[in-house]
Amino acid sequence: MSSQTSVIPSYLKVFYTLLVFTILTVVAAKALHFPASWGTPGDVLHVSIGIIIAVLKVLCVMYIFMHLKFDSPLLRVFVYVPVFFFLVMVFALNVLEHFSYTH
Amino acid sequence: MSNTINLSHEPVTRIPNGKVAMWAFLASELMFFSGFFAAFIVLRNGNYEVFAQGSAHLNWVLALVNTFILIGSSLTMALSIHHLEHKNNSQFRLFLGLTILGAFGFLVVKYIEYSAKFHDGLFPGQAHHTVFYSFYFMMTGFHALHVIAGMIPMMYMFFRSFTNKGYPYPWKVETLGLYWHFVDLMWIFIFPALYLLNPYSGTLPVH
Repeated sequence: MSSQTSVIPSYLKVFYTLLVFTILTVVAAKALHFPASWGTPGDVLHVSIGIIIAVLKVLCVMYIFMHLKFDSPLLRVFVYVPVFFFLVMVFALNVLEHFSYTH
Repeated sequence: MSNTINLSHEPVTRIPNGKVAMWAFLASELMFFSGFFAAFIVLRNGNYEVFAQGSAHLNWVLALVNTFILIGSSLTMALSIHHLEHKNNSQFRLFLGLTILGAFGFLVVKYIEYSAKFHDGLFPGQAHHTVFYSFYFMMTGFHALHVIAGMIPMMYMFFRSFTNKGYPYPWKVETLGLYWHFVDLMWIFIFPALYLLNPYSGTLPVH
């Protein structure tokens, strides 16, 4: 763990980033419009944007709040492997399922 | 840094045992929620109308408020760990108290949200509601149970911090913090999946 002065500003930065990304998630899902032919029904574009923003938020939380930045590289490997497969599952299943129903 | 932390390190990996155990537990928790998400994705893509209607009926503003509450409580949790590691017991107690308050606030908002659904005749386990509501109650319900489960050790640590030595184990709070941030992480996915991403959002149904 690093010194008293350096950690709190990075915690606050993560906090503000999460707030901004949350608002971005809402704006992207509610206010961003695509032509009907671009992946409707199923809305694969909005879903992809939602997943990408969520992944960025998750990485921020894990890296700073959950201290992976300050932890041993071994623990980082231990954590990133299951998270990677979870994200692959979410993303690939979404895309595959979407195209299996719309094409 | 106190001796408590150094003594709890596993000698080969130099990672605290409690921390490895918590991450292993969180990996199993991830699998638990993965089942919900996988089934959710498959059924959503087979039932666009049902999921569009269900999603449109949810109160996403309340869920947004809850997102902000959880993000705030994640910040206060991280700050409380920081202050305990620097032997600042009163600041630790303040920020842990705020985290508990955030968890409680989350549950109050959830109560308001569930009450509105019950008022509309949507109950868990009822035959006439759609498959969307099965996911809604399972995913948000299990998430809320995780919030309650996190509050119990938090309250124990909070009350222990009033004893004259203060709460003595920073690494236990850090381990609990990992769990608490995980609860936040799952909400980061549940919030857009259930409340925001309507299969027809932004466009009209094609048929």
